[in-house]
Amino acid sequence: MEERSTCESEVWGSSEGFLAPREARGGPSLSSVLNELPSAATLRYRGPGVLPWGAQEEEEENGRSIQAFAEAALKELQEPHPFRELPWPMQARRAYRQSHARDQMAHGSRSKGAHWARWLRRSKEKMREDLGNLQPWAWTLKRIGGQFGAGTESYFSLLRFLLLLNVLASVVNVCMMLLPTWLEGAPPGPPVSNSSSPCGSYNLHSQGLVTYPTQIFNLLTGKGYLEWSPLFYGFYPPRPLLAVTYLCSVFVIGLICLLLILPRSASGLKQTLLAESGALTSYSHRVFSAWNFGLRGDVHVRLRQRIILYELQVELEEAVVRGRAAVRTVGQHAAVWSVRMLLNLLVLALLGAAFFGVYWATGLTVELQEMPVVQQTPLLKLGVDYLPSFFIFGVNFVLPPVFTLIAKLEGYTRSRQIVLILLRTVFLRLASLMFLLFSLWNKITCGGNAEAQDCKTCGYNYKELPCWETRVGQEMYKLMLFDLLTGLAVMLLIKFPRKLLFGLCPGALGRLAGTQEFQVPDEVLGLIYAQTVVWVGSFFCPLLPLLNTAKFLLLFYLKKFTLFSTCSPASRTFRASTVNFVFLLVLLLGLAISAVPVLYSIFLIPPSELCGPFRGQSSIWALIPESISSLPETTQNFLSFLGTQAFAVPLLLISSILMAYTVALAHSYGRLISELKHQIETEVQNKVFLAQRAVALSSANRAV
Amino acid sequence: MGNKQTVFTPEQLEAYQDNPFRQRIAQVFSEDGDGHMTLDNFLDMFSVMSETAPRDLKAYYAFKIYDFNDDDYICAWDLEQTLTKLTRGELSAEEVSLVCEKVLDEADGDHDGRLSLEDFQNMILRAPDFLSTFHIRI
Repeated sequence: MEERSTCESEVWGSSEGFLAPREARGGPSLSSVLNELPSAATLRYRGPGVLPWGAQEEEEENGRSIQAFAEAALKELQEPHPFRELPWPMQARRAYRQSHARDQMAHGSRSKGAHWARWLRRSKEKMREDLGNLQPWAWTLKRIGGQFGAGTESYFSLLRFLLLLNVLASVVNVCMMLLPTWLEGAPPGPPVSNSSSPCGSYNLHSQGLVTYPTQIFNLLTGKGYLEWSPLFYGFYPPRPLLAVTYLCSVFVIGLICLLLILPRSASGLKQTLLAESGALTSYSHRVFSAWNFGLRGDVHVRLRQRIILYELQVELEEAVVRGRAAVRTVGQHAAVWSVRMLLNLLVLALLGAAFFGVYWATGLTVELQEMPVVQQTPLLKLGVDYLPSFFIFGVNFVLPPVFTLIAKLEGYTRSRQIVLILLRTVFLRLASLMFLLFSLWNKITCGGNAEAQDCKTCGYNYKELPCWETRVGQEMYKLMLFDLLTGLAVMLLIKFPRKLLFGLCPGALGRLAGTQEFQVPDEVLGLIYAQTVVWVGSFFCPLLPLLNTAKFLLLFYLKKFTLFSTCSPASRTFRASTVNFVFLLVLLLGLAISAVPVLYSIFLIPPSELCGPFRGQSSIWALIPESISSLPETTQNFLSFLGTQAFAVPLLLISSILMAYTVALAHSYGRLISELKHQIETEVQNKVFLAQRAVALSSANRAV
Repeated sequence: MGNKQTVFTPEQLEAYQDNPFRQRIAQVFSEDGDGHMTLDNFLDMFSVMSETAPRDLKAYYAFKIYDFNDDDYICAWDLEQTLTKLTRGELSAEEVSLVCEKVLDEADGDHDGRLSLEDFQNMILRAPDFLSTFHIRI
């Protein structure tokens, strides 16, 4: 650092002539005084032996000798700093490189330490680069981001991440559920009809030759030959080792998913904080750093200009709305809030109607399945089976646009509208899934009434659902398949025809109706919904993550193809940092919600007597205390200690204290930052004042 | 670039960019401020606009590019010019003046009604994507 300042003083000394003309004019001006400040000088520093930026050239470029450059350069750099990163002009760099090469040849090998340090740094950079390249589809994602915007890119990035989660889950499932099954010999075949169990009989007569429609029907609903296959829970034999690993695999998958999602959402939070902390500089950032200087081609330039225009207009509009909200009288406030209350009640009513509809449809399914006419025609049977899914799909299709309309009437700013719409749609999607599960629970446990006629003997409704876990698995399997089929159908029957049809239509109408954009929030919520279904179903249908991997892989290529063939680039920006954080939060919510039915089934519902690895026990969890009691004494004591209050309460206390401490720390940092900002402002004012005084004094001196 | 010229006219450089700031870039990086660049100026331009140029240097050059009247300050007129180029003149005059006012409110540290280099630098240091947008890839 000292070298630099001496160099600078030399440089400034040699360029005294720079100030001379101004002085001659009549006292140094304010700007020239400010230019002499050290901070400005560092900024303008250009390299060894060169005048700083902005100084007038006194001599010709050619007049400067290479030797002068080299000397100045050597004087400055004592260590082998990467001189590529220093802001030197071309001539200085050439001179340095020549002299450096000469030195290297003269002195032979450099010191070992510097050599190894350089090698280490380079190999670390290379490894980081390689890891980044290992991620599949990196180039595709970059291309999508460049062409369609950051929001679309974040959708595909989320899809890739969920694919990773599913691959890991299927690997865990295969290792902990499938392998132990075949380890101790082949599992038995489907049960025969006459069994003397008090809990009824589980009939899975293997039909010899089935008709083709029935085969398709079996494939799509998980019945028939699929019902007694590794796909569903019922197939697995009651072996103790298998039972333990089966149960543990659920917790392992949950833990892995949690551990992978949390760091990703934390980094998303950091990005959001960084972007949102510029609330005080949003306009200046939009004006000065929004323009991408690397854009080429009229189309892209036009698009970028449109995006900047849209962003500025949105900001101005939000400012207007906020200004209007600030000057509202009490009467107007009351009116606005009563309107909001009414609209919220309307939203709640719509959601309630949707959920009741789902519940009713599930009940209707069971009734309709009893009718003989339905049992004879396979197509009707399929339709009735998929009735709840159809209902959920219909509700998810119709209600979000209604929410968009309602949000517009509420008088919030646009960004708040988007958040509200997102929240409501998320609630709709996840809650309809929960209602489906609730109606299933109702059927399985006779409405939670253990003393009811049907549930008294075995604890669950053995007459209608001899193997209830397989039934739940089948429902989740159907939901997953239905999701895939509707995605395909929408793409083939709506998006492509619309593009083709309106592409042929001439004029503005055709262009307006034919431009489709990739609706990022809807698509991301669809992904999260699909993943929640898989998380719920992976306990009851062990191969579901594997099927989901295939589905997501297909979905990736399908969506990419649809994107590039039918969609135009987004005309509205979606801040990628907010998107990433909010959607990962919703994914965590989905994980938490999916844990509820699984944990409830494990702890509270008695397992089926006729199928599965847990048959004959009072609850699925009852296996764990039994297996713990077979472990050595010390392990038993340790594990039982973990379950007592003496461990849980101090743990809770310590976590609360840590959390309170972190919150207090964050608060104090925030206060420190605002104090420092205030200090910077004051310092700037001081500096300007002093410079003005200096100018005034020197002109006074000159006058005297 | 094919021919063996050592001086490129602004028209020749225009063919390689559709950037609305192309004239300003050429003027700022050229020897005598009239848009004619020698090879060394050209290399300096790409050096500043490359990925590894330090932030302070880019901030200095961004300041010079946005300073349309070359008076070492970004005044309201410069801001209006910048906005017009950014939005291809599709913002109304009222909106333009509103945005200029807000920018000066946010960034003007010494409250003299225009942005000096220090104000600009302080403001742009907090922009997370400045380094990636002030960047030309060859």
